Parts: sequence; C-alpha cells; structure tokens
Amino acid sequence: MTENEGNTPALALRDLSVSVPDGQQTRILLDHVNLEVAAGELLAITGSSGSGKSTLLALAGLLRRPDSGEVTICGERTSDLGERQRTDLRRRQVSIVYQSANLVPSLTAVEQLELVGHINREKRKTARTRAESLLEELGIGDRWNQLPGRMSGGERQRVGIARALMSEPSVLLADEPVASLDPELSVQIAELLASETRSRNLATVIVTHDEVPLNYAHRHLHLEAGKLTDVGLADVR
Amino acid sequence: MFLALRELRRTWRRFILIASVVALVALLSTVLTGLANGLVTDNISGLRALPLTNLAFSPGAEATFSRSSLGPEALESWKQEPDVKVTPIGVSFVNASSASGGRSIDVALFGVAPDSFLYRDAHGAPDQHEASRGRPLHGLVLADELKEEGVKVGDRFRIGTDSGSLPVIGFTFGGTYGHAPIAYTDLGIWRQALFGNEAEPRYSALALQLPSGFDVTAADRRAGTETVSKQDAYAGSPGYSAETGTMTLIRAFLLGISALIVGAFFTILTIQRTRQIGLLKAMGASSAYVLRDGIGQIAVIVVLATAAGTLAGSGVIAIVGRGAVPVELSASAVIQSALLLAGSGVIGSLFAFRRVTRVEPAIALGVEQ
Repeated sequence: MTENEGNTPALALRDLSVSVPDGQQTRILLDHVNLEVAAGELLAITGSSGSGKSTLLALAGLLRRPDSGEVTICGERTSDLGERQRTDLRRRQVSIVYQSANLVPSLTAVEQLELVGHINREKRKTARTRAESLLEELGIGDRWNQLPGRMSGGERQRVGIARALMSEPSVLLADEPVASLDPELSVQIAELLASETRSRNLATVIVTHDEVPLNYAHRHLHLEAGKLTDVGLADVR
Repeated sequence: MFLALRELRRTWRRFILIASVVALVALLSTVLTGLANGLVTDNISGLRALPLTNLAFSPGAEATFSRSSLGPEALESWKQEPDVKVTPIGVSFVNASSASGGRSIDVALFGVAPDSFLYRDAHGAPDQHEASRGRPLHGLVLADELKEEGVKVGDRFRIGTDSGSLPVIGFTFGGTYGHAPIAYTDLGIWRQALFGNEAEPRYSALALQLPSGFDVTAADRRAGTETVSKQDAYAGSPGYSAETGTMTLIRAFLLGISALIVGAFFTILTIQRTRQIGLLKAMGASSAYVLRDGIGQIAVIVVLATAAGTLAGSGVIAIVGRGAVPVELSASAVIQSALLLAGSGVIGSLFAFRRVTRVEPAIALGVEQ
C-alpha cells in the first residue's frame, strides 16, 4: 500500500510500541513513538544503554516487527507485508551501517560490496565495477583486495558504509558508526555519512553515544523511557 | 555459493577436521565395500558363474542344497515344460583327502551330468580339460584357486568312503561356494560319494534356463518343486545372509554416522555464524539464499573429502587384495559407495535447516526478539 507521494517521508514510524520480557514483568522499550525522516535529512538519536535505540533501528530497518504501530518505507506500509515482501523491501530500500563495520571476515573489501550485488542478483561484472567505483569514491580504492583483518578501524567502517550504499538505498540506518574509532576518524566517518546523505538524497538515521555525529545532524532526538523527545541541536553544540 | 567458496578458499583450515573425518569414513566405507563384495564373491562366485537362470529345490529347502533332494519325477516334469532347459545338479561339501598322504582340502563338490549346459561351462575356461569334453568326468575339475595352492593335474584325492581315489583332470574358473573352492565331477561320482551308490536317482536341485515370462508357479506345482532365481539362491549358501546382512548393517551405520557428523558440524558452524547469517538476512538475503550457500559449502567439502577417502580406500583394497583376504571392488561399487556417503553427508547438513531459517535478521544489530 503506498501513501500519497507528494510529501511522503522516506521513513515514517507511527505510534510504535515495543515491550520486552524483564523477569516476571514486561518492560516498555518504545511507547507510542512517532518519527519521520525526509530524503536528504540526517537524524541523530541518542539515549542511554538499553533505552531501545537499537530496537528502534531494527524496527526502522524491518528487521523486527513492533507490538503495535506502523513502519512506512518510501510510502509503503509494512505491517501487512509477509516476511518475503519485507525482505524484498529491505533489500531495495534500506541499508545499515553497523558498529565496528560488521564485515564478513573471509571477504575482501571489494567482495563485501559484491556480496550485496550477488544477493540482489546483479550481474557480476556490473557489481564489480560499481563496487570498485564506490570504494574509490570513499577513499579506499587502494584497499580493495584487503581482508577486514588487515584493515584499520576507519578503513573497515568506510567499507561498511560503501557496502551499505551498494544497494542504492533510500533509507540509511547507522548503529553507533563511530563508537570504536578515535576522534579524528570519528569526524571523518561522520562527515562521510553527512556528505553521502546529501549527495544521494538519503534519509539517514544515526543512533549514537558519541557527540561527533550530532555536529552533522539536522535533528537530534533523545530516547528515554520509551519516549522520543526533540532535543534540538542548540543544546548539544 | 558466492560466500561459501571464498570462505573455503580463505579459511580452509577450519574445515580440515570435518574433511578428515568424512575422508576417513569414506575410506572405511570403501574398504568395507571391498571386503563385503569379496565375501560375497568368496561365498557364491561359483554359483554366480553357472549359466542358469533359476534353481528348483525340493519344497521347504529354502534354496539350500543340503536340505534339498529331488528325484527323476521332478526332472521329467520339468523336461516336459516348453522352451525350458533343465539339468540335475548335486552339491555337497566334502573333504578331499590326498591319496598320497599329502594335505586334504575342503571343497564344494558339484556333480554335473555329461552334455548338460552346466557340464560344458565347467570346461569352458581357457585351461579346460579338453580330453573329457562330452564324456563323464572320471575325476575332478578343480577351481583355479586350488592350482595356486599347489594342487596339480594328476594328483589323486579320496572323496567319501566308496569312491576310491579320483585324479585331478583339470582346472577351470569354478569360483567358490560357501567359501569352499568348487570341484566339478560327474553326477554319478557325486552320488557315489554322497549315497554310496552311483545309480541312486537323486539330485540336490535342478538347474534351469527359463525363458522370460515363464510361469514358474504352475511348473513348480506340476513338478512338486520350489523354484527360485539364481540371485535368490545365493541366500542358501552357508553364511551368505548373515555375512551380507552384517556388512550391510555396518555400512548403513557408517552412512548414518557420516550424516550425523556432518549434521553436527554444520549445526555448530551455523551457531558460530548466527551473527553472520543475521547480517546476510539484514542485507536482504532470504533463508533459501543462506541455506544454498551453507549446504553448497558442505557439499563441496563432503564431495572432495569423500573422493579423497574413496581413492585411499581403493588403494588399501588393492594392497589387501594381494594377500589371502577375499576382496573385490568394482568401479560401480566404488561410485555407489561414494555417492551414498556424499549424499548422506549432505542430507545430514539439513539437520541445521531449521536453525538457519530461525535466525532473525535483527541479531545483526544485537537485538534479540
């Protein structure tokens, strides 16, 4: 089902609620959360450990279903979709950048990207050309044949971002993308995410503990006790 | 197989253990196949080589020569059947003691009638005893195996009490029956050895050459016999069913163990890869994609390891075959054994099927459902 295309946000979370078992009780992780992210917008979400930031990201990435509420990706409502349709939609529209890159240990940098092409049934030669071009664009063209174990943390994260961009998504989700990096590299990665958001017109959501990505966000929301509150960038600068 | 092949190439060390285990199972399976086939050959090769399609026994004999005794009525009845070739055969296990006081030998004594299709076969081998063709065998035509043990043409053996000593008049490919080398002789001599009377009109069974589609049941009813195919008659050979049953059971266990080992390995591998499987699913890969990759990887390992083990097993059999142990390994038996093993290994990997399908993509973000 597709909403009116006119002012449709790339990502919309409406009235999302999730609770998890906590001993004999249940704990509310997300309590009627609402969120819209437009194409070209970079949104940063902060929150304490266990506040539900990753769960929010998992819901936005169609990796799990909410107890109630609706996730809409590029105007397509997902609550009524079957698992196969959700997987298809995720493959076409959503990409995730992980903490510590989460690369496949046995694949070289270029193969990490080619794997995305393979999953998307892209022609091998086309995928290879695009992968090399993306690595070049992100400044790691010369590391194309390196395995993750022989790359620095910054290089790994750049490969992780390149991999996320390989499927040409509309929505980019980043889970603590600078958590394991030194301050200088954190700035580089945050800048990269911001510039790619602009140049590719992505709706980007960064979940972070660090302050560096906040400097590049259009909006800053804080998640606490299951509620999202707009912090406003002035408060953190 | 995009991920599977690269993983195999770059992290091959982690697969050495499972490949070694599968290769050893394949080696064991091949050696057992060789031994099992060797045992079968040692048990019934003589019967298998006879140019007959069926054997008629007395009712209740269960294809066992020693339990069967037929007379001329049954033979005459079968002779009346159209398009049927029939000849009596006497089979018994005897000890042939050397008339010159040398060693004695245990043989399966096959008494055949002159001019029967069995008789001609007994002399159809390259080193046949031409002189006696078409005439009663006044002596013994022994299986080649005995020539290798030092028995020579002209040696004399005493069989039973009244037959006097019989000369060895030739050698032929006779094979073995019930693990004893076959000694062909004239039906009359066999009767003399068994009943003490050459003219006693009794036989162990009737060897038959039946046309296809022949109504065996009706003919049996008329002749008062119980006819079985040549293959079914193998079961009547002493120890045949027990030996083949034991070997089949051992091989079945090996296949089961192989499936279990590969299944357990793949399950552990799946548990270790849970996060990676979650990542692949988060990237949009379906469970089928992940399964194809995983099972493809296991298939490559199992096929290569099975091939290596089978090759090594064939080598072992070739070496063992030079000694006294009866072994036999044909290309088809090797291929069949390898295919069964590889198949069981891949089927074993399906044990982890549910585990792979149950991995949630959210695990890539460290989020448990």
